[in-house]
Amino acid sequence: MPLVFTLAFRNLFHDRLRLVATVIGIVFSIVLVMVQMGLYLGFGQMVTTMIDHTSADLWIVPTGTKCFEDPSLLDTRQRSRALAVGGVAEAIPVVIGFADWRTPGGSSTPVFVVGSDLRSGGLKPWNVVEGRVESLSTPNAVAIDRSYFDRLGVSGLGARAEIRQQSVRVAAVTSGIRSFTTTPYVFMDVDRARAHTGVPSNKATYFLVRVAQGNSVDAVRQRLSSTLSDVEVLTPAEFSDRSRAFWLFGTGAGAALFAGALLGVIVGTIIVAQTLYSSTKEHLNEFATLRAIGSSRKYIYKVIICQALLNAVIGFGLAAMVGALVVHLTASTALPIVITPALGIALFLLTIVMCVASAIAAIMKVTRIDPAVVFTR
Amino acid sequence: MEAINVAKVLGDGPAQVRALKGVSLSLRGGELTLLMGPSGSGKTTLLSILGCMLTPTEGTVHVCGNCVSGHGAEDLAKLRRNQIGFVFQSYHLFPTLTAADNVRLALDVRSTRDKHAMTKANEALAKVGLAHKTKSYPRQLSGGEQQRVAIARAVVGNPSVILADEPTAALDSENGKAIMKLLVEIAKDADRGVLVVTHDPRLVPYADRIIHIEDGNIVREQSREGATQLQDILERA
Repeated sequence: MPLVFTLAFRNLFHDRLRLVATVIGIVFSIVLVMVQMGLYLGFGQMVTTMIDHTSADLWIVPTGTKCFEDPSLLDTRQRSRALAVGGVAEAIPVVIGFADWRTPGGSSTPVFVVGSDLRSGGLKPWNVVEGRVESLSTPNAVAIDRSYFDRLGVSGLGARAEIRQQSVRVAAVTSGIRSFTTTPYVFMDVDRARAHTGVPSNKATYFLVRVAQGNSVDAVRQRLSSTLSDVEVLTPAEFSDRSRAFWLFGTGAGAALFAGALLGVIVGTIIVAQTLYSSTKEHLNEFATLRAIGSSRKYIYKVIICQALLNAVIGFGLAAMVGALVVHLTASTALPIVITPALGIALFLLTIVMCVASAIAAIMKVTRIDPAVVFTR
Repeated sequence: MEAINVAKVLGDGPAQVRALKGVSLSLRGGELTLLMGPSGSGKTTLLSILGCMLTPTEGTVHVCGNCVSGHGAEDLAKLRRNQIGFVFQSYHLFPTLTAADNVRLALDVRSTRDKHAMTKANEALAKVGLAHKTKSYPRQLSGGEQQRVAIARAVVGNPSVILADEPTAALDSENGKAIMKLLVEIAKDADRGVLVVTHDPRLVPYADRIIHIEDGNIVREQSREGATQLQDILERA
């Protein structure tokens, strides 16, 4: 084992209390950053979950639409025009909107209605655990997520309630389709969605375009854009990005999450810097001896940086375990914390950068060391 | 190693002290030289300058024929690790490292990290009589044993000069004698000079040459015989 590593390791473990304090500082800092960034990713996924689960090549949206939940409407004549554009195989209407759900017990709660032409399968519920999607074509049929049973006052398949004084029946139950607004999604046929949200029969919120085989999506998009007026034609990725940008940055939620993450980095850096500095100060005599017997500054820096890296590895290892637990505990909540492999790697690199940056103060202290002090101590 | 007309001013303004006032001396291979003087005489300042840790205000120092004037801190560190071994009064061992690792450290800073480094460290410890203590930590060793480890660390890189600062001051007389005998053995190498700084007259019999320093000046230089005779006269008087 290289002696630099041995020296760094022993210096670090020599004072266990300080090591524990350092590691707790790193874990606290990294978990804070992890949670903030995990929330950011989780939120980003949640706000685009409908778009991500839609089977479409292009979205026709009202001009200026900021996000999926935007209630602006399109005229169905736009659909007829779209269908006339070469390369367009389908233009499936989607109707969304808030409505009032009245439970069998008489209480009411807001819901978010999502209606689509179920025969075309543009935007239909997924993760169906009870009932069948096909049964949504039957009268009054709706699909809800089982996590909202209590809120909606129902007990499962076959339960009845009212939306806008019209009877609905739970014909399919999904699992894990949760709304970041906490307002439950209710899936149904597009015509029923119009009736429940008050959208006129000649209007729709979006049209989902499917491009005919053999046609370029880009070319069809250009033709649609030049043919249709007062609409935007977006790819699913563009619509996702726009929705995410609106919710994360238009509302300030993303900035708050980033500010929290930055705070975590600052707190972590200060804690590690403080403990590393005091450790270096305590071992100053040894560093002076090293300098006296002829070690280069680089050699001493290696010892300190090695200590910082050991701190980083230990701290990150523990933070990763806490992170895994947090991910597990929040998996089925309204806002799950999502940690992707890329985020994991980024956090590890951040921990290393943070710990090495923390070593700067200690290095500056050692740089000023006078080797001649070994004769007077 | 040679110092020519070395002067050193320490501090600024009214607190300024002229610690050395034009000192010249040379260390020769195969000799153990004692640098003796009372507290505040300039011993440690001279040792720091000879050890390339402090630069003189005036004069020059030559190590193995190279003038060290104008060298930067890193060049001086390189000179120290290649040419000079140090033995300190309070040993300055690394408490978290074993005796063998403490010795190996002197090789490690020289970038000697081959598989023989540990063998060399163990051999150096064997030469100072600590073959059985290679895995002991400083806290498990007596003062005399710790100073032996420090001597092993000083010689393991085969330097041309050993500078020892009060190496027996923290030891009882038996351990002090043993340490001096070791230093005498080390000084038998014709290519290596040993300078021991002390104020303990009991070390005189071990020296080949004694240099007396007072108030920043070298006041006397004697051979061992001359010093011993003088000591006898003083003791009889």
